[in-house]
Amino acid sequence: MITVDGTLSPRRIAWQRRRRAVAHGWADYRRSVPGMIGLVGLLLIVGMAVAAPLLADASQLRAVDSIGNPTWATPSEFPPLGTDNLGRSVWAQFVWGARISLLVGLAATVIAIVLGSIVGILAGYSGRVLAAVLMRITEWFLVIPFLPLAIVLAAVLGPSVRNVILVIGITSWPSTARLVRAQVLTLKERLYVERSRALGASSRYLMTRHILPSVSPLILASLTLTVPVAILSETTLSFLGLGDPTRASWGKMLDEAFSSGALSRGAWWYYLPPGLGIMAVVLSFVLIGQALEEILDPRLRERRA
Amino acid sequence: MTFRLVGLKVLGALATLAFVVVFNFFLFRVVDSDPVASLFRGRNLTAQQKVELRSQFGLDGTKLEQFGRYLQQTANLNFGRSYTSNEPVMKEIASRAWPTIALVGVSTLLSTVFGVLIGIAAAWKRGSATDYSATGLTMATYAMPDFWLGMLLLTTLAVSLGLFPVGGISDPSSDATGFAKLLDQAHHMFLPALTLTIAYLGEYALVMRSSLLDTMREDYLTLARAKGLRDVVVRNRHAVPNAILPVVTLIAINFGFVLSGAIAVETIFSWPGLGLLTYDALRGPDLPLLQGLFLVFSASVIFFNLVADLLYAYLDPRVRTG
Amino acid sequence: MSAEPQVAAPLLSVRDLHVTYRSQGGGVPAVRGVSFDLAAGETLGLAGESGCGKSTMAGALLRLLPQGTTVTGEVLLDGEDVLTMKPGRLRAVRWTEASIVFQGALHTLNPVHRIGRQMAEPIEVHDAGISSGEQRRRVEELLGVVGLPAGRADDYPHQLSGGQRQRVLIALALACNPRLLIADEPTTALDVMVQAQVLQLLEDLQQELGLAVIFITHDLSTLSTACRRLAVMYAGRIVEDGPSREVFREAAHPYTRALSAAFPVIGDMRFRLNPSGLGGDPPDPREIPPGCPFHPRCPVAESRCATEAVELWPTSRPGHTAACVRVLGADA
Repeated sequence: MITVDGTLSPRRIAWQRRRRAVAHGWADYRRSVPGMIGLVGLLLIVGMAVAAPLLADASQLRAVDSIGNPTWATPSEFPPLGTDNLGRSVWAQFVWGARISLLVGLAATVIAIVLGSIVGILAGYSGRVLAAVLMRITEWFLVIPFLPLAIVLAAVLGPSVRNVILVIGITSWPSTARLVRAQVLTLKERLYVERSRALGASSRYLMTRHILPSVSPLILASLTLTVPVAILSETTLSFLGLGDPTRASWGKMLDEAFSSGALSRGAWWYYLPPGLGIMAVVLSFVLIGQALEEILDPRLRERRA
Repeated sequence: MTFRLVGLKVLGALATLAFVVVFNFFLFRVVDSDPVASLFRGRNLTAQQKVELRSQFGLDGTKLEQFGRYLQQTANLNFGRSYTSNEPVMKEIASRAWPTIALVGVSTLLSTVFGVLIGIAAAWKRGSATDYSATGLTMATYAMPDFWLGMLLLTTLAVSLGLFPVGGISDPSSDATGFAKLLDQAHHMFLPALTLTIAYLGEYALVMRSSLLDTMREDYLTLARAKGLRDVVVRNRHAVPNAILPVVTLIAINFGFVLSGAIAVETIFSWPGLGLLTYDALRGPDLPLLQGLFLVFSASVIFFNLVADLLYAYLDPRVRTG
Repeated sequence: MSAEPQVAAPLLSVRDLHVTYRSQGGGVPAVRGVSFDLAAGETLGLAGESGCGKSTMAGALLRLLPQGTTVTGEVLLDGEDVLTMKPGRLRAVRWTEASIVFQGALHTLNPVHRIGRQMAEPIEVHDAGISSGEQRRRVEELLGVVGLPAGRADDYPHQLSGGQRQRVLIALALACNPRLLIADEPTTALDVMVQAQVLQLLEDLQQELGLAVIFITHDLSTLSTACRRLAVMYAGRIVEDGPSREVFREAAHPYTRALSAAFPVIGDMRFRLNPSGLGGDPPDPREIPPGCPFHPRCPVAESRCATEAVELWPTSRPGHTAACVRVLGADA
């Protein structure tokens, strides 16, 4: 695009357009009530996790430092959320546990998305042989049931936060790969790709300049829907004792609540908050994800009208 | 549906199974060069003990020899002996399979039926109170960990209200037989089955709703109405048969996964199935048992995926005849 | 309207029909006051660009529009107002009095039911006592009428070609012997050869059975021979109505003139020497300009076109009306 005064290069124009699209998208998003609820909820929880040191002293997580506390104290006896079988503050566990749930959920999702996107783009774009091989591998991974694989890997690798992230990431990438590949295939058919080719664009250029921007919204929506699955998986793994035993997490709280007999004691302050916390995080992401999907998928938009 | 189509799909499934078998082997060996050391970490073993254990686990010899032995044994369904009970692994698995199959079978049936009905009601009356409450309910159940739901049901219905037993499959003190025994087992199965049903019906409801919403935009529904059909008939005779196709495959696929996903729920209710077996095996860790369980779970997923595939091909006339 | 004295009341009488869709930003008026009469056995062609409201109007005639759509006015079918009928009566009237032939796209027919079953369905619904053998016989008879072999009844929709599906839809529309056939773009998705065949079929059926037909399309040239009368829609209103040959050759409304010029007839020298198209787009239904809705694109617009409301005024020829101030002559 040749301009008269030469101040607006094509690149600037593209960026301006992108910025406008984002602003437009944000205005659209704000109109969605469920989307805003989800966003606010998520920000609150993230805020709580980040502010953990301010909200509860880390020492209250350790049994040795909680010896002076009464065990099984109700919230009225030991605000704000009572204590567990070892006298540790439930509130501290809750607030610090949020960090692990969020951290694992996000980190594992990032791994899954990055891996899945790379495989998806390659599978959609490459020649028949490579694509077929990649898709076969993806399908094989989809078939392996998550929990047994996670259990086995965690048992062999050893329980730690890093390993849990790895396990969840490794088992979650196939669905993203399939989604991305389908999108890439439809994009490949589009004329503008063919025309760029005719103009001499290389594969790498096409992938970064054309395909990636088009696939990105899809990846974003997929991300917000993968995080809840990752968080739920982490909870289950921690509950089964495969998480890091030294760090507080909501799943671990449930595990300890169960094995220490909180259920028969009726110590609801121990097992209710973690579950509610997980529900809140998952619901927030799901609401955000649905709102994003509606904005980014034009087909869904016409359904609303 | 041609034999060729069926044959190809079966072949594909077998290939995937073969991959899993190989994967199973390497999972325990390649990840860690010395499985014995890592599996028995924290326990002081003498060099002699280590050699013995290696031999016992079939870890002596070259990798290739181990692999060969592994393949041979797997073909004979011989997965070695459980470390904790010293019984053959297959025997352990076989004896514990039925409680899981019963639990998962009943739960899947109930969650499918209720989920589909809820999904249909929500989609057909889109935007109404029915739709919002159904969607809200399904989102809430999707967001909660299934075993946490089990915990809540356990405390309220079993511990506080005493309506149901706290765990196990049957009352150890009674020696009822026949029908009375079955009734007792059903009584014990109620809470875990309720947990799994509620936990999974959300997914069916959401998929059915989404599928029906897509179907509702199709022109053949307008045509059906134009013919003078009543609304309910249009829904049940035209919309639902089309919308339900994806749900059918989902059911079949899920069955394979739920089989292995009931681990946490079985633990909560001490339900003596494969899930609880896995949880206990984890404590060891009981390597041969875990390996056998992993293979069984994977095989069931592959099998049910194949069933889902074939079922869809049969039900959709476009695939069946086209 | 015809200059001949009407012997009987018209079969279909549409009075001031308004259709407003529900949408996020408020209502979208797709049809803004349409009125016309149709006598028994008469053929009416309805032409216009996409978005002018013609398909919406067709759907409104049998109340087939999505829930929440506001429809006002009167649609008198044999004297009864369809818009105020009770649901039971409406269902009885559908297909037996008037039926619709939709565009034969793949999903106009239910993909999981066989053709025969879908064709037998209205027969069974409107004739409770009929036996399945009799239903089958009727289905095969209908297939024969449209030139398809009886064996097609056992096929699924995806096994038929586009042209065959269109014939099935026509056969289906005739299943309960309606008096009015509404054909909504029945040939649009077909290629030219098949189009001609289907048009011929419709014409033959119309003559044999004495059907009244409303033929909706965006392709003006197909209408000039198929229908005796032609109406043109723009921005939700009828802007011209008259005998088809007249409307096509000597249009009174500038829009019609532009529309017919856009579809050249092979062999007609006028098109060779004077090619033309129409610039611009039809107005957004939410933002229709005041005065005559066509004036922004009109090649002969005058200053009063932007302010004065237009109606269908009679032209110098009998039975030919147009919504253009130029029709009123210099003394308007």
